[in-house]
Amino acid sequence: MRLAFILSEIGSGLRRNLSMVVSVILVTFVSLTFVGAAGMLQMQINQMKGYWYDKVQVAIFLCSEGSTAAGCASGPVTPEQQESLNALLESPAVAQYINDFQFESKEEAYQHFKDQFSNSPIVDSVTPDQLPASFRINMKDPEKYQIISETFSSQPGVETVIDQRQLLERLFSVMNGASLVAVGIAAVMIVCAILLIATTIRLSAFSRRRETGIMRLVGASKTVIQLPFILEGVIAAVIGAALASATLWAVAHFFLGEYMSQQYPDTAFISSGQTLILVPALIILGGSLAGISSLLTLRRYLRV
Amino acid sequence: MIRFENVTKVYDQKARPALDSVNLEIDRGEFAFLVGASGSGKSTFLRLVLKEDRATSGAVYVAGQNVAKISSWRVPRLRRGIGVVFQDFRLLPQKNVFANVAFAMQVIGKSRSVIRDTVPEVLKTVGLEGKEHRMPHELSGGEQQRVAIARAVVNRPGILLADEPTGNLDPTTSMGIMGVLDKINQNGTTVVMATHDDDIVNEMRKRVVELKNGVVIRDEAKALYTSMIPIVGQSRRLKDASGRETPDAGLPGEGSEGTEGGAQR
Repeated sequence: MRLAFILSEIGSGLRRNLSMVVSVILVTFVSLTFVGAAGMLQMQINQMKGYWYDKVQVAIFLCSEGSTAAGCASGPVTPEQQESLNALLESPAVAQYINDFQFESKEEAYQHFKDQFSNSPIVDSVTPDQLPASFRINMKDPEKYQIISETFSSQPGVETVIDQRQLLERLFSVMNGASLVAVGIAAVMIVCAILLIATTIRLSAFSRRRETGIMRLVGASKTVIQLPFILEGVIAAVIGAALASATLWAVAHFFLGEYMSQQYPDTAFISSGQTLILVPALIILGGSLAGISSLLTLRRYLRV
Repeated sequence: MIRFENVTKVYDQKARPALDSVNLEIDRGEFAFLVGASGSGKSTFLRLVLKEDRATSGAVYVAGQNVAKISSWRVPRLRRGIGVVFQDFRLLPQKNVFANVAFAMQVIGKSRSVIRDTVPEVLKTVGLEGKEHRMPHELSGGEQQRVAIARAVVNRPGILLADEPTGNLDPTTSMGIMGVLDKINQNGTTVVMATHDDDIVNEMRKRVVELKNGVVIRDEAKALYTSMIPIVGQSRRLKDASGRETPDAGLPGEGSEGTEGGAQR
């Protein structure tokens, strides 16, 4: 009974304050979209880093079947060449610059590739044979990349030496900058949302002061009096959060998944499914912001 | 039922207290009028009973409980034991008669079936049978006040506080309202009514507590609106001017019952 009563109170409150409720929904929608966009950018950065990014800096790719590089004229790498490269890496002349290194076989390369590009159709057309084996090197000082490059580029069986960090770092710094901007805008919008929710609840409490006055007099508990107002704000904010989640999902699904992955098939994009982990975060964030701001407002403007 | 022990209430340090060392006891089942000019402390008295305000000093007991000792989350329970009626009715304009009365039960979580049984019964007590579906604006003032009374007593409180319930009503309608309050009182509810309406007080012949500037200056059983005690000089002069009462040279002490001389209507 009390629940039904509270629900009907919420319904009448939402109806009476419709335009304010709509503005709360829109403001939380926009602010949480920016929060979510920042989250998505970070997820995208992680996706692009792949398996090796945080572990090593330099990769020495070995010749495989179809390699066209000059060092690979003699065909794919032989076990002897691989052995001598391994020995060279362990020799004191090189070993002083590196922390450790790992060999990635074709099979392992395929596995890591599959993980990184799991959202992309490209994964179906790639076989382990097409991927080069490689040595992955963790440098003591990443700045000393040149030494490794010079030592190994000319070795037989080496296709190319790549400093992966340098390739991606620029892009990542742009994306990190973008997510900072998104967080900044989100912070301002969240302040707007909090103030707007507070104003809405204040108006709502004012327009229903007759009811709340009577509720007080007949001995309604604090919860029964306050809950409809708080839930009013929370419901509006949760609707905004749901809209923001839907927008982010749509961006991941239609823009990244269908457009960008066609345009840049060699880049790993996040899938629309991955954005779903943002949904509970956004809803909890929106709901708790609204709950706290309406609770604080009620404390000042609604006597119980 | 209600006991004030040396209660003082000060709103503003610089002004005189709204209530000044008031000692008063109203028993279970009693009907008491609270009379006095505006600003005499009647409303403050009612507010203290409801714990809308805290007494500055002294203790207020309601149903044996010191209200100062009731924690804030238990105040609703205190208020469930007290019905309140106002001069301006305070009905919800968008709800009909039934819903207005039912509202008081809904907010404390009474079940729908209990509400369906109780509300018509209470409406019958206040004389509003068959008007369940009227809206407040379709009712006369007297009927609206009856709805307000029904709402105040629907949860069977032990105490009914009425703050000038007849202030907006004509004399005939007022008498009807008094009949309702009397009936509720006879069912065992303690009724405390603050009023300016001398006709009603004189008609009812109940206990009268007169306040002036926050001090109880008279407390008589079966009394009249005005007493013959000299200190109420000002109000007597007003009465003289209206020609309704003959002044009576200084008589009896407080609380005695024999103070009727010359004040009969």
